[in-house]
Amino acid sequence: MYLAPDGEEVEIAAAAGAFLAEALPIARLHKPECADLNVAQRGLLGEMGWFALAVPESAGGSGLSAIEHALFFREAGRQCAPVDLLAQCLAANCTDDADLRAALIAGTQGAALLIADGEHLRLLGSSDAAWALLVSEEQASLHALAATGLSPRPALDPANSMRLLAALPPAEHTATTTSIWQLGQLGTAAMLVGLAEAALDLIVEYAKIRETFGRKIGSWQAVRHPCADMAVRLEAARAQLWYAAAAMKEARGDAAAHLAAAKHLANQAALANADACIQLHGGIGVTDEHDAHLLLKHALLLVRLFGGKRALLASLLHARLDD
Amino acid sequence: MDLHFSEADHDFRARTRAWLAGHVPGHARPAHGAEAAQFDRDWQRKLFDNGWAGVAWPSEYGGLGLSGLQQVIWYEELARARAPHHINTMYIGLMHAGPTVIARGTEAQKAFHLPRILKGEAIWCQGFSEPGAGSDLAALKARGRIDGDDLVVNGAKMWTTDAQHADYQELLIRTGEDGARHKGLTWVIADMKAPGIEIKPIRTMMGDEHVNMVFYDDVRIPLSEVVGEVDQGWSTAMATLSFERGLGFIGDQLELYERVNRAIDLAGKTRIEDGRLALEDDGIAQRLASIKADCIAIRAMTLADIAETDRTGMPGPKGSMMKLMVTGTHKALSEVVGEILGFSFLEFGGDRTAHPWTYDYLWSWVFSISGGTSEIQREITADRVLGLPRSR
Repeated sequence: MYLAPDGEEVEIAAAAGAFLAEALPIARLHKPECADLNVAQRGLLGEMGWFALAVPESAGGSGLSAIEHALFFREAGRQCAPVDLLAQCLAANCTDDADLRAALIAGTQGAALLIADGEHLRLLGSSDAAWALLVSEEQASLHALAATGLSPRPALDPANSMRLLAALPPAEHTATTTSIWQLGQLGTAAMLVGLAEAALDLIVEYAKIRETFGRKIGSWQAVRHPCADMAVRLEAARAQLWYAAAAMKEARGDAAAHLAAAKHLANQAALANADACIQLHGGIGVTDEHDAHLLLKHALLLVRLFGGKRALLASLLHARLDD
Repeated sequence: MDLHFSEADHDFRARTRAWLAGHVPGHARPAHGAEAAQFDRDWQRKLFDNGWAGVAWPSEYGGLGLSGLQQVIWYEELARARAPHHINTMYIGLMHAGPTVIARGTEAQKAFHLPRILKGEAIWCQGFSEPGAGSDLAALKARGRIDGDDLVVNGAKMWTTDAQHADYQELLIRTGEDGARHKGLTWVIADMKAPGIEIKPIRTMMGDEHVNMVFYDDVRIPLSEVVGEVDQGWSTAMATLSFERGLGFIGDQLELYERVNRAIDLAGKTRIEDGRLALEDDGIAQRLASIKADCIAIRAMTLADIAETDRTGMPGPKGSMMKLMVTGTHKALSEVVGEILGFSFLEFGGDRTAHPWTYDYLWSWVFSISGGTSEIQREITADRVLGLPRSR
């Protein structure tokens, strides 16, 4: 029993963190045309093997586990990485076609995330993606985008574009498994935990230098106490994230319940910490040039993916846990 | 990262569960008075006679010497079996005074006191807080003057739980200069039957009288009862409190998960004012599910913290965050149960056994104030976890 990154896990997390801070720094979101993964970024991620993280070795992947998947996406969350990143990793697990899988792993073909949102089909991700990935709790499917009409919508979150599909193209590849949904839920929870961490780090750093009334704001209890509450929410969400990742790796019978709890805790921690981060910064917090609003806007997208509040709570109410 | 319990841990869980199934008392603990204290003594004696006393104590002092993880298993099984709660009149002896005597006591103190605690023969109480020194413990004023081989104690202590049942007290007094804060304090064992000790109950908002003021009027305590050195009591007291912040509350942490499931069962059979079952109300169902998720996360936090402590041998600074999380969740659960029960939540005459949910609702403020208020826990978190500039 051990519930924190350990040994090689620490090295993988550090490598992912360093790579993503270079390849997809949150600062990119202050520039125009920043949404989604561009071709060069996707190619670089593919070259480094990050899309193959949770693909079995027998299928040309790295054969690493849910734990490494969570470690990587926590770092992605710290940079508000686009959800293309997750779609691409999941898509590589969605097909038995060796050529397509190799192209998805290499990043030479792109996948965007398709959300069946009531009467709308919403596509999140790059406009040059060849595939739309649709994931439900029981199955995942890849749909070719080439011949589909797409209408752009304005997007609150600058990290991803948002487009509507006129109609659902037929599924060309289908995987009947719960594991892709679970990897999606775990990856999203991990991104939200990373985002909640980034929000806490931003305000703690600022509270140590910004002065009001002749004192550092971090010495005022009106700032210290909400920061402590941010730390508590984060600690709970992160502990549950690690528990859920380990439960999934070990194929425990209660993994789905632990994943749902992890996503719910991560949803709450990210939204509340992004909120407090803006408020405690004061005026600078509402400016476009600051990162604080980027965290909030990206959190608002991620909390809706792979289990929103109502669905998660409905599944948790009667969930049973093992010892 | 992994979730594996060892074979030995699984065996321990199986043995614990089997024993508890046959030995949990058939009747509830009396809510008050000498009967409650006697119930606790009997249960502790039963634990001792069957080899279950002192789960956290080293085996050389008669304990079970369990790892942190095995203690988690023990408390989970106690909660599952609805065995007597571990926070009872034995708590200070087992969780505070015993571990402090083990860490800092003389051989004579160990030989006399430790077996009495394990067997349920001695009830202990705490004597740290005062009317003018609660969260700010270093402001304490109760005075100890050395006179020959004795300390002569004068002053008052406050919030002393179960003083009226206690045989001994862990007493923190000022032996050095007045106003010297952490310097010049002494941690001493007081015999509660000593002449000059007077106990006055404090009635709480729950309507019970578990906590007391204790007054000392020239109470003579032999210097041989000092634990650690005279004037070095702050160090001894911090050792005492570190046991509590390490593992003292794991029982409460883990029991919350059982309690939320009981609340969900309750909501599934209790009708609210519009005739529906409480669980059919989306607001109630969502709040219960969200609290359940928090309880699941509390278990993960507990396991993460304890596995880390088992590895490093030192409790980290996360105990304050844990207390904030646990007390907040406890209160949220109490509030939603109040809503489920409607007017019947207001049927309460101070009897915890008859009306546990109302009692626990009222107690949620005791939980978030005692042992360091939530405000103090936030200060500790801001200082030690986040490294923010000091506020004082």
